[in-house]
Amino acid sequence: MATLVEIENLRKEFGSVRALDGVSLRVEEGDWIAIMGPSGSGKTTLINILGGLDSPTSGRAIVAGTDVARLDDAGLTRFRAEKVGFVFQQFHLVPYLTALENVMLAQYFHSITDEKEARHSLARVGLADRAEHLPSQLSGGEQQRVAVARALINHPKLILADEPTGNLDEANEQIVLDLLRELHHEGHTILMVTHAAAIGRLADRRIELAHGRLANVGATALKPEPV
Amino acid sequence: MMFWRLVFQLLRGNRGRLAVAILAIVSGATVVSALLNLDLGVQNKLTQEFRALGADVVISPATGASMQNSTAPPSLMREDAVLPSLQRLQSSEVAALAPYLYVVARAQATPVVVAGTWLDQAQNLEPTWKLEGNWISSREDDSQCLIGRAVARQFRLAPGRALKIEYMDRFVECTVAGIVDAGGTEDDQVFASLRAVQSLANLQGQIALVQISVSGAAKTVADYTARVANALPTGVQVRPIRQVTEAEGALLSRIQLLIISMVLLILILTALCVLGTMAALAMERRKDVGLMKSLGGSISRIVGIFLAEVGVLGAAGGLLGAAIGVALSYWMGLRVFGTGISPRWEIFPVTVALMIAVAMAGALPLRALGNVKPAVILRGE
Repeated sequence: MATLVEIENLRKEFGSVRALDGVSLRVEEGDWIAIMGPSGSGKTTLINILGGLDSPTSGRAIVAGTDVARLDDAGLTRFRAEKVGFVFQQFHLVPYLTALENVMLAQYFHSITDEKEARHSLARVGLADRAEHLPSQLSGGEQQRVAVARALINHPKLILADEPTGNLDEANEQIVLDLLRELHHEGHTILMVTHAAAIGRLADRRIELAHGRLANVGATALKPEPV
Repeated sequence: MMFWRLVFQLLRGNRGRLAVAILAIVSGATVVSALLNLDLGVQNKLTQEFRALGADVVISPATGASMQNSTAPPSLMREDAVLPSLQRLQSSEVAALAPYLYVVARAQATPVVVAGTWLDQAQNLEPTWKLEGNWISSREDDSQCLIGRAVARQFRLAPGRALKIEYMDRFVECTVAGIVDAGGTEDDQVFASLRAVQSLANLQGQIALVQISVSGAAKTVADYTARVANALPTGVQVRPIRQVTEAEGALLSRIQLLIISMVLLILILTALCVLGTMAALAMERRKDVGLMKSLGGSISRIVGIFLAEVGVLGAAGGLLGAAIGVALSYWMGLRVFGTGISPRWEIFPVTVALMIAVAMAGALPLRALGNVKPAVILRGE
């Protein structure tokens, strides 16, 4: 399998705080990686840099052949639209847009909108009948499924999920994890930040960060146990 | 398509907050359009007044003077002392020229002012007259006359009907060719041929005044007036009427300056109101902008959506305000001038354009959204 993500000696400093301190890592296409570690260990910072939301202080972060560290603002904007799909813990849907429009918004910034495809994407996450609902009319689990549909709509190379089940109850957590598992089986590359060891065990590999450094890289079973 | 869908949803989703901005825009547009309509209306009214005067130059006997070798009463002039000189001075700048003789005669035993004149000149001399019926093309035509609207109403006359005018033991009969709506004293008069009225009043060869319409600017009128004054005998007064209107024009300029100053002030105040709302909205939208950036939205595309939203607000508020403002100016015209100011349709695009510009100026705080860092915003900071 080809390498999709290659990180070399990545550092990120916020003033005197060192969020990432020389992280090196390689992710193959189709991998599902769980990034774990305590709060403040640099998990979200790593995801943000790989997603082009933040720039590293030094080091290289190559995603799908592009060194994110070398991109200017316009380059980062195109990178985010074309190469990655985000799923956030807080869902982050635009409150005055319907579920369908939230998905189409990603299409709009990528290239052109295709309502049929957006509806299909919502149907895939089981929300065909909720397309015209505003986020305030959806449950947390449904909102997160809209976010997953939005992340997938532009067929990104890499899906970055930051605590995707952190704000969900058990039932909705299971639905979202099933979705991620499905995506993984379809060959999508997923980098997922999580606190929960049980969720981490679903991934192919677990990476543990501590104080901005790679503490442990382990493999999990190829056929994960149900959570 | 998606662009306008987003704009519409933005407007719908923030209607509470935007209500303040649209209220400011509608209020601003109302006052601005009312003032502009009033401004144009007043201009129009003065222009109408100027045109209603018709003539630019009036020749009449000088007060208290009598013409040399004149057999005419002091209030009259001999036409052969005046008209031949005027014919000699005839040039392309003279649009129309007509002598007048007025008598108070009787029609159906009721007093009526009859003006004897060259009826073929009436249309050019009084371009603002509205006429029902036909103009009279020959000054020699004694058989036809024009009557004012009030006269027609009083004697129940219509074009084609005969009118008998009596003066002492003499009378003339004429067929009404047209009914004049002048909006002034002419509505109470009968206009017959000069020769017929001179015969009626037994004042052959006598005229009371000559009205001349001169095309061109004030200087042309002044030059022509000077030439006429030199050519005419003493005892004749040559008065350019446009001087009066020019004084009104100076007053109009001051009124316009006042109105433009007020319009500018209102535009600035409206922009400040929109600015306040947009500054608050820009703060609220930082999260949305951070999210849109994370989805690959460039700041120009994102701010473009917000500016379109503001533009729609400006256009809608401007249009609504313009309609209210025009109605307001009509009402103000009635209250202040005693006559409604007619709506000027050019006010609508001007007001809408001004309000869009003001709304855009008020949207300056949205530029700050360009500095939003998605990672920071999405962390909830």
